[in-house]
Amino acid sequence: MFELGPIFRALLRQKVGAVLIALQIALTLSIMVNAIFMMQNRSTLMARPSGLDEANLFYLSNTVFAQNYPHQAALEDDLRLIRSIPGVVDATQINAIPLSGGGWSMSLQKKAGEGEDGTGVAVYMVDEHGINTLGVELIQGENFQNTDIRWRAASAVDWPERTIISQAMAEALFPGNWQSALGQTVYINNNEPMQITGIIKTLQAPWNGWDGVERSMLVPYQLEGRNNRYMIRTEPGRRDELMPIVEKALAESDKNRIIRGVTSLEETRADSYRSHNALNRILLLVIVVLTLITAFGIVGLAMFSINRRKRQIGTRRALGATQLQVMRYFMLENLLITSLGVLIGVAAAIGLNIWLVSQFELKPLEPMLLLTGVVVLYLVGQLAVLYPARKAAAIAPATATRSV
Amino acid sequence: MLKMKQLGKVFHTGEVSTHALREVDLHVKEGDFVSVTGPSGSGKTTFLNIAGLLEVASSGEFLLDGDNVNLLSDSQRSKMRNQKIGFIFQGFNLIPELNLFDNVDVPLRYRGFDAKERKRRIEQQLELVGLASRMKHLPSQLSGGQQQRVAIARALATSPRFLLADEPTGNLDSQMAQSVMALLEDINRQGTTIIMVTHDHGLAQRAKRQIFIKDGRVSELTAVEGLHSAGLERVTPLHTHGSADAARQLGV
Repeated sequence: MFELGPIFRALLRQKVGAVLIALQIALTLSIMVNAIFMMQNRSTLMARPSGLDEANLFYLSNTVFAQNYPHQAALEDDLRLIRSIPGVVDATQINAIPLSGGGWSMSLQKKAGEGEDGTGVAVYMVDEHGINTLGVELIQGENFQNTDIRWRAASAVDWPERTIISQAMAEALFPGNWQSALGQTVYINNNEPMQITGIIKTLQAPWNGWDGVERSMLVPYQLEGRNNRYMIRTEPGRRDELMPIVEKALAESDKNRIIRGVTSLEETRADSYRSHNALNRILLLVIVVLTLITAFGIVGLAMFSINRRKRQIGTRRALGATQLQVMRYFMLENLLITSLGVLIGVAAAIGLNIWLVSQFELKPLEPMLLLTGVVVLYLVGQLAVLYPARKAAAIAPATATRSV
Repeated sequence: MLKMKQLGKVFHTGEVSTHALREVDLHVKEGDFVSVTGPSGSGKTTFLNIAGLLEVASSGEFLLDGDNVNLLSDSQRSKMRNQKIGFIFQGFNLIPELNLFDNVDVPLRYRGFDAKERKRRIEQQLELVGLASRMKHLPSQLSGGQQQRVAIARALATSPRFLLADEPTGNLDSQMAQSVMALLEDINRQGTTIIMVTHDHGLAQRAKRQIFIKDGRVSELTAVEGLHSAGLERVTPLHTHGSADAARQLGV
């Protein structure tokens, strides 16, 4: 009824152009699907929650240049000042900024001693305001008390007795029973014991490319040093307004230091994933360009084929084909070519994906993505052939009796 | 069956208008075999195109089985072509990528016959033209005469009441031409009405009626009993404007 048989047999006798377009469709499908797959992987990475109240957080650097500077007193004054500013929810000194790319890592082990297995963890040194400032969720145990906070000199090598770790870190230390981590003693620097007094749901490390990015720990330390960073959390929607206010207040309160690098955590996230975003855009561009090239290829082949077959189309019209039947002929022809391309493309896409998975430790391609790619290619093919098919349908039946 | 009244066709190219057909009056009855002759550019093909619903007349009335075809939509004309008219073209117009079976199948598919009926008709028609054993061959594997016979099989496959032939022997040698003409006469004897455009006066004279076209005007030539073999003819004007031209053309 739909002439599939004759169209197929006719294609077999004029196969070069059709095969070339089918190969182009196959290439587009395999690249498109795997590019989307890579984009999805990156998007999934970028969408991982940091655990922080990102929208309302910003931080700044405090660089002291004065000699004999009262670091401890100045730090306490600064934090008191910041916390007193209307609109500020809380503030803490912090040694590293999540997602910033720079931080501090250590290894925790369940047994003391050199040579014991350790699990890497990102270290955030904060005071008892750390949890509230960062906006992380404490799901087990308790926060640090003011009495837990210790001053850490720049040259110090010892560690406090208490720590709060992320759930991912608890899971890494106690696989399958992360809840049991609470109250356990773990060892840092091989032999220094630390008791896990709390577990927070999520807190990402500063390095987004690290496979242990969810593993982190809070340590009740305040740092004595010439370079400090303060993390500040504001009331919802007031961050941008408060960033210059806090900067100015700190700068005016003490002339022996420089306040700089006032940055929102959202900017840090954007910077952190800039290359991922750029690559996604490039991949998107590749998909669009490749799809357009394929579409134009289909249009070109169809137009060429129609120009070559004007007399034949006129004859079909003379023999009783309606305009709709002529259009249907070319759309079915395209459907067959696309089907061949899709068949090869699916095999190529799976092959390429197997290689990508083996090379970059990615998850395998989801069948739904492949199916979506197939549907998109069919749609592109049908849309691309629509214009040539309309041109073909417009060929007058009288063409059959003319010399063309 | 086919009635044309004051039919005209004008082609417009820029500001130039060309009258391809002028005030044509013609009545073709069921079972007629009409030959159409005339010099090149006289309007024969335009006449055939309009008679075959391939083109629409610019003026006048054209009734096919009582239906005014000028009032039909493109789709309705396509269906009428498929159901009532068979075409034989000078260049055969077979589809080169399709074998004989699929070529004859083309109009049958548009007709909507089921596969079994299509197969029966294809085999029957290819049998009729003596090519049943070659139905899997491509047109390029056949001689010109054989290709024209396939075209005839295709034209007859839908059982049309009306067969239009545009120079059906134009690309054939005389022996092949005679064979194709004999086939057409046989088809006509079985009741199919035929209009055949030809340059070959010998073949034209074998038709039951002869139409002459010049400068878009149509005249009918009627053979005089007993003089046919001598090639002498009397002009019966279908239209007064055309008669003188037609007579001059024939040297009468």
